[in-house]
Amino acid sequence: MAVKKDLSIEYLGVKCENPFFLSSSPVGSNYEMVAKSFEEGWGGVFYKTIGIFVADECSPRFDQVNKEGLPWVGFKNMEQISDKPTELNFENMAKLKRDYPDKVMVSSIMGSTEDEWKELARMSEQAGADLIEGNFSCPQMTSHAMGSDVGTNVELLEKYSKAVTSVTKIPFIAKMTPNITSMEIAGRAAVKGGSKGLSATNTYKSITNIDLENLTAMPVVNGKSSISGYSGAAIKPISLRFVAQCLQDPELKNIPFSGIGGIETWRDALEFILLGCRNIQVTTAIMQYGYRIVEDMASGLSHWMDERGFDKIDQFVGAALPNIIPAEALDRDFRLLPKFDTNKCVGCGRCYVSCYDGAHQAINWNEKKRIPELDDDKCVGCHLCLNVCPVQNCIVPGDIIFKKGRKRHPIKAKQQYE
Amino acid sequence: MSKVLKGTYNQEAVSGFDHRTAMEEAARCLLCHDAPCSQGCPAGTDPGKFIRSIRFRNPKGAAETIRENNILGASCARVCPYDNLCEEACSRCGIDRPIEIGKLQRYAMEQEKIFKMKILTPPSKKIKKHVACIGAGPASLAVAAELAKVGVKVTVFDNNPKAGGVLSYGITSARLPQKVVDQDVAAVKGLGVKFELSKEIGLNIDVNEMLEKKDYDAIFIGTGLWESKKLGIEGEQSLGVVSSIDFLRYAKDRKGVDFIKGQRVLVIGGGDVAMDCASAAVLSGAASTAIWYRRTIAEAPAQIAEIEYVTKLGVGITTGYAPTKITGSSDGLWVEFLGRDGKSTANVNVDCLVTAIGQVPRDHSNFLPGNIDAKGDIIAKKDGSTKIKGVFAAGDIVNGGKTVVEAVAGGKIAAAEILKYLGVEV
Repeated sequence: MAVKKDLSIEYLGVKCENPFFLSSSPVGSNYEMVAKSFEEGWGGVFYKTIGIFVADECSPRFDQVNKEGLPWVGFKNMEQISDKPTELNFENMAKLKRDYPDKVMVSSIMGSTEDEWKELARMSEQAGADLIEGNFSCPQMTSHAMGSDVGTNVELLEKYSKAVTSVTKIPFIAKMTPNITSMEIAGRAAVKGGSKGLSATNTYKSITNIDLENLTAMPVVNGKSSISGYSGAAIKPISLRFVAQCLQDPELKNIPFSGIGGIETWRDALEFILLGCRNIQVTTAIMQYGYRIVEDMASGLSHWMDERGFDKIDQFVGAALPNIIPAEALDRDFRLLPKFDTNKCVGCGRCYVSCYDGAHQAINWNEKKRIPELDDDKCVGCHLCLNVCPVQNCIVPGDIIFKKGRKRHPIKAKQQYE
Repeated sequence: MSKVLKGTYNQEAVSGFDHRTAMEEAARCLLCHDAPCSQGCPAGTDPGKFIRSIRFRNPKGAAETIRENNILGASCARVCPYDNLCEEACSRCGIDRPIEIGKLQRYAMEQEKIFKMKILTPPSKKIKKHVACIGAGPASLAVAAELAKVGVKVTVFDNNPKAGGVLSYGITSARLPQKVVDQDVAAVKGLGVKFELSKEIGLNIDVNEMLEKKDYDAIFIGTGLWESKKLGIEGEQSLGVVSSIDFLRYAKDRKGVDFIKGQRVLVIGGGDVAMDCASAAVLSGAASTAIWYRRTIAEAPAQIAEIEYVTKLGVGITTGYAPTKITGSSDGLWVEFLGRDGKSTANVNVDCLVTAIGQVPRDHSNFLPGNIDAKGDIIAKKDGSTKIKGVFAAGDIVNGGKTVVEAVAGGKIAAAEILKYLGVEV
């Protein structure tokens, strides 16, 4: 598997061999795990969050959401921060930095008081961390003085950011919670407190499934359960949205951002980069598939750069962000009709059913030939049919019809669907 | 190195789906509008509907759809020639390969068993009519169920100790375990249908007599084909020559054919029955098993899936040769063959020869005078009615031997006609 391109990128002044990092979570809990991930190609680690508080965990602690037999569409976890002694974690960190000097070590920390934050920051510096991330976002802490309850409190965000940055020169990243209406407001508070970077998103408070055996949520812990963090592919769309909103905020637009949320493939990673992220963090996909997934992330991204003629990731960071505009600014002058390839059509009628029951009754069903027939006048160009069709390239964008009274002009439409 | 399948007589040829794999397969379904698969089932089992139930996590609903439409839903799930019926009609064929409808049906019917579902129950309203079904095979069971569903009293007669006909005494266990047949029969019994088994009724009695006694308001005949076609060659009576009917029945009764262990077996024929005989022989421990068929694989009536299965079991198939003479000797049977070209010959030494070249009815001429064609089949219209008022027939005894699902379909049609005859409004 070839990685032809240089995937290195600088993040907060630290040179990273690639942007792919483990996020602070079970996947980076000890020396052996992180060492293995480095050997397999990860560029760095956000070491599992260390606190003065040592977590006492429940069992079991995970659940997953599946759809139509496809497992792990979403993933729920009830783990808190590290359950290992604080000193041991920093020792591991120091050893990893010594043995893998070219890999990037980010110390993820979480205090419950200003003093704890300061102490953890000092310990991180002593351990040789390249960067420090403040975990303001774990949604399942057993204490309200920590985690996402802090991340939704602008005063505490600023205060604790200040505490950390007052004792160390190592750049500090505030990890944001999505369990908030406007992440920008929280982000501004962290920056005001001295945070140099932001990372988002942590997990979403969730109930994945109700267990029909015990009549509680999943996972079942002695007949009970709790609300806790949701991650995996299902959250990617919402995480991308938070990232875009932060990076479009006038006060945060130049903040070096680390993207997190449902990243499994190079494409997912690239999507975060195209919104402006300079760093990528992954956990859930590693829990499901292992560290090896980084090989295809690196190779896939390299191939895409090759296709597009890019030499450095820097050349396309944030390239998609300007094209995400408010709803009121969209061009609403035309209808883009779908085009049906009747040779490819297998006659399932799904487009007909969906257009009738979920759209505008613009597809007529030819019962004899078992093919759809579009009523151009009724079609609003919503493309529900294109989205429901199971055959690749059977329904594609076709004619552009300008609405009555609107001036004709060139239209950019998507051509390649997968 | 080839890797032939190993197994024992009672081992199932194909394993089924569990919840996860069933859901994965159901997720491949395109959930077509006016689903072609549903139109492709002669018995109206409605796969489009039951697959949608599985997809929307309602396997019990799926089992209900199947059971309500096809009283032999569990057996059909195992033995239906899907590749010629619903799966051939599947729209997904236009993309890659059809949905495994048979296996999904099997999964749904397994849920019926696991959850001890009683899907069909006798209606509270009874109709004072009594119908006799002669034979307890697929066509008769379908008729009995359809009539019992609307409250008609039904008694099914069979000369065998178990109901199911060809399902219980023909089709080999690897394809159709007895527990699956019993599950279907239990559904018929659950409707209140009475069974008179081990009763040699009919054939010696004139059907007119039965009607005159007025014990029954109508009679359905679904007696099937229970005589093996003869090869019509010299030496056919030799020791070691067995008919497919006797061979498969022996295997079913004793869970294998003990007398062929370590023996060289040759099966003559090219239909599913020949394939069943060959697989039963291999799985019973025959030293070698070969099939000889007079035509080509393309012309063979067997399902390609069954031909593949016996091939995987290591059975050799020789085509283009018909037997001409059998000679018994101290070292077994010598079977002489003549090629289709009229010139090539072969002389094969085996211990056991199974003839599986087709089945014909027993003599019904006394039972149904004037209603038998030259082949011995009962003459009946498409709707199941015969020339004798109040007497109906369907299944293999009428169509000359087709599939289980077609027998069910024929039985459903005949049942509708019987209800019409009885003046029962549905």
